[in-house]
Amino acid sequence: MEVGAVKSVNLRKVYRGKEMVEALKGVSIDVGKGELFTLLGPNGAGKTTFLRIISTQLLPSGGDAEVLGHSVVSEAKEVRKHIAVVPQDVATYNNFTPWEYAYYFARLRGIASPAAKRKAEEALKTVDLWDLRNRTCQTLSGGEKRRAIIASVLSSDADVLMLDEPTSGLDAVARRGVWSALRELVGKGKTILLTTHMMEEAEMVSDRLAIVNKGSVVACGRPEEIKELVKERFRVVINGDFKQLSSYGETARLGDRNIVYLKTQDEVIDLLKTSLKMNLRAEASPVTLEDVFVKLVGGLNNHDNK
Amino acid sequence: MTTSKILRDTLIIAWIKSFPDFRRNPMMLVLLAMISAIPLFFMMMFNGGGNMIVHGLVGAMVSSVAFAGVNSGIQDISWDRYVKIREMIVAMPVHPASYALGIALAPLLVSIPSLILFGAITAYLGFFTLEALGWIVLALILVWAATSSMGFMISTYLYKSSPMLLNNFANLLGIGFIFIPPVYFSEAQLGSLSWLSLIVPTSNAAGIMRSYMGLLPFSTEFLIIRWAVLIIMTVAFVVLTSVKSKWREN
Repeated sequence: MEVGAVKSVNLRKVYRGKEMVEALKGVSIDVGKGELFTLLGPNGAGKTTFLRIISTQLLPSGGDAEVLGHSVVSEAKEVRKHIAVVPQDVATYNNFTPWEYAYYFARLRGIASPAAKRKAEEALKTVDLWDLRNRTCQTLSGGEKRRAIIASVLSSDADVLMLDEPTSGLDAVARRGVWSALRELVGKGKTILLTTHMMEEAEMVSDRLAIVNKGSVVACGRPEEIKELVKERFRVVINGDFKQLSSYGETARLGDRNIVYLKTQDEVIDLLKTSLKMNLRAEASPVTLEDVFVKLVGGLNNHDNK
Repeated sequence: MTTSKILRDTLIIAWIKSFPDFRRNPMMLVLLAMISAIPLFFMMMFNGGGNMIVHGLVGAMVSSVAFAGVNSGIQDISWDRYVKIREMIVAMPVHPASYALGIALAPLLVSIPSLILFGAITAYLGFFTLEALGWIVLALILVWAATSSMGFMISTYLYKSSPMLLNNFANLLGIGFIFIPPVYFSEAQLGSLSWLSLIVPTSNAAGIMRSYMGLLPFSTEFLIIRWAVLIIMTVAFVVLTSVKSKWREN
């Protein structure tokens, strides 16, 4: 049987401080080689804790996990040879250049100088920073700094890359630059484990994803499979006051807007016609990953004022 | 992990944490030298007699390496955790010793120009013999090792402290280890309390250096005791730090 890239079995983590916090409640995940797998969850779901355990920075309270067949608990040194990590909210050294990040981090992995130079060049070209390689980080934009950090893990040539919310705080263009670089790496056979709370990101880049909430996996699969976990296939967004909406299906209210979740196209057409008659603007579309996510993590009811 | 890989990684980390800074802000070298030299100006203004200035130069050399040592531990918890470079390195095939040594070595590299300057002035004044050079360098290395381990040990206790508290703490340690004990002045001035200089690594090393420079008349036996105390304290701090520190959180 082929060994997967990352596998966790009943992984648990309890933080014992003034109050006990159970950050992971038995997480079991299997990530295949050459796959981009995303952990999607709200803030405090346990994504970073999971990533820190898998990247050998933190010991679990129970269960075990493996990276390329090596236990993160008992074979951490072996695991570290195969991984590279971008932590959440990582900052840059102001006096460092992207070249120094990419080159010196490759050297720290034991790569000889000529090869490290070659890999640094490849990494900086992949993240489109080659022309800015000699500028100090203090003169770079937020997105460029983030890409410099990503270049430092790309140059490492590690088999498994772990990135904790790599695009948080970036604008749309910079975000797409990072996504493009990640997909390019998957194309080269790298395995990527990503965490995010951004639905669009998860949907755009992931081969598979797991929705994590309050320390547990609530759903796992390809984005299309996840969307099929709810029985509704469509959403209709209606601007304005519509009294009997709840009779059509499950609704969520966002201020003066209502979202109605429907199962069939006939139901959608019926609701659109009624809305037009009432002179209300309505738009129909397939359910999004965000709709499914909100429903699975129990957030829908928080907005539902029906 | 091989010894050569550990040593190479140590040098890479030290280089990463020193060279880009002083290459792009060379003025920091001048500022660092000035911090250690400030007490010398006061000595020249208010005294200036006898060998006072040479005692001050010994203090400036010890101060250059001791500041580097104390600050390395503080830097680890305040700066490296802020930029999260430590998290990236923990997840790499890098030995914890490489990281600790690299962090401690980085400020020492930055201090080298100051050390050379103060050493050159001392030599110009005729107090720096080639014969004593080896012993003086050894004493400075031990002070650096002792203060660095002390810095790291303190950092293990102040893991969750704010950067402001840590900076104040580093300044306080600097005063406690460098300006209060007889580092810039001769321990002979303490009279019957001169033995106190033995228990602080910085003043102990300064005393040893002065002895080799002919400024303090130590007997061979007393000099051996001072070396022994300095070495034991350094080893004790290194051992305590390695026992207390954790590479991986739990």
